[in-house]
Amino acid sequence: MKQAIYGLILYVFLMIPPVVHLSESIMSIHMHMQMPLLGIAGMFMTPFLQKKFPSFFKKWNENGIPGIILFFIVFFYWLLPRAMDETLILTHVEVFKFISWPFLIGVSLRDSWAKLSNAWKNAVYIIVSVAYLGMAWLYIFSPDQLCNNYLIVEQRTLGWGFLLIAFCILLYFVQTLFIDQSQYE
Amino acid sequence: MFKSRHQMISLAIVLVFGFTLFYIGTDGFTAFTEETARTNKLIEEQPLLPDITLEDSKGREYSFDEFEGKYMLMTFIYTACSTVCPQLEMNTAEIYESLPEKYIGEDIVFMSVSFDPERDTPEILDRYRTYFGSDGETWRMVRIPDEQELQSVLDEFGVIVIPDGEGDFQHNVAYYLVDKDGYLVDVLDFSDVEGAKARVLETLEQEGEG
Repeated sequence: MKQAIYGLILYVFLMIPPVVHLSESIMSIHMHMQMPLLGIAGMFMTPFLQKKFPSFFKKWNENGIPGIILFFIVFFYWLLPRAMDETLILTHVEVFKFISWPFLIGVSLRDSWAKLSNAWKNAVYIIVSVAYLGMAWLYIFSPDQLCNNYLIVEQRTLGWGFLLIAFCILLYFVQTLFIDQSQYE
Repeated sequence: MFKSRHQMISLAIVLVFGFTLFYIGTDGFTAFTEETARTNKLIEEQPLLPDITLEDSKGREYSFDEFEGKYMLMTFIYTACSTVCPQLEMNTAEIYESLPEKYIGEDIVFMSVSFDPERDTPEILDRYRTYFGSDGETWRMVRIPDEQELQSVLDEFGVIVIPDGEGDFQHNVAYYLVDKDGYLVDVLDFSDVEGAKARVLETLEQEGEG
């Protein structure tokens, strides 16, 4: 319950207009902070939702696969350069961002994660980091301006951010293969 | 993999939702960046040039009506730009020189519009035009002195100009082909000079026949 409140506070905080304005004025913060934080807010709220609608999650996402596929689809959608641009010019896309990141990405990731087999979890690490490496390559080396609302120099910075995050995920993934987590739990 | 029917149903829903999301979000898998979406939309909508006042490199003031009955190849620039604008105008010069003389000034005028009216005075524009072989008549360099009018043209043509805070602007770049009645008919890739040449020539030749 406490977690759900923290999640809600974070969610509301991210929706305060000056916060929205600030986090969207810098491309890297928009992509690498605002969006993931919305996802994290959703993850915090997940246990509350699971308790509130236990049969829903059990019935429709029993083995976690529909949930993780939903996570990937929405997550990939937000990697489109156009999606980020459109949040700035179209209100309905902005609204969709604030709904989809917490509830479609955050909630489905956390609900599915506990249900997934190790093979699936490994696949998630690999797919996300490969996608991020691809985005890093695209944003760092693209000679064109990919987002009309941001400067090219910001675009490159964003690319390096993708690269850094991809390496962090890969590093974490590799250590899960060699270190027995149960010893530390 | 799926023990229950519900799993199948929810997976199907998720997949349909995902397909729809991507389909709508990319205009049917055609536009993955806002710039492509913008260009497609402009070509489809063919907006009309707003009625506004221009000031050219000779200090003359007039509106776009001045060029009624002629095609117009427009670019949006600012003269302090050291990156893409010179490249754009070099390419414009190449197109300008490649067209048969009979069309120049008669059937088509070239128009480079500055979106930095504060610094791009007629004197500056007059100097700038000489770098690219513009004669100031059949290829004019103009500014739009009124800020609101300038913005209305930029909005209508979807030109996004972001000041970078150090006196420069980031802006999207293209050729805008405007027809004899002032409607935008095509947006051309500025880096594909051959393609742009061919498109302009084709338009002019068709007009000559028709």
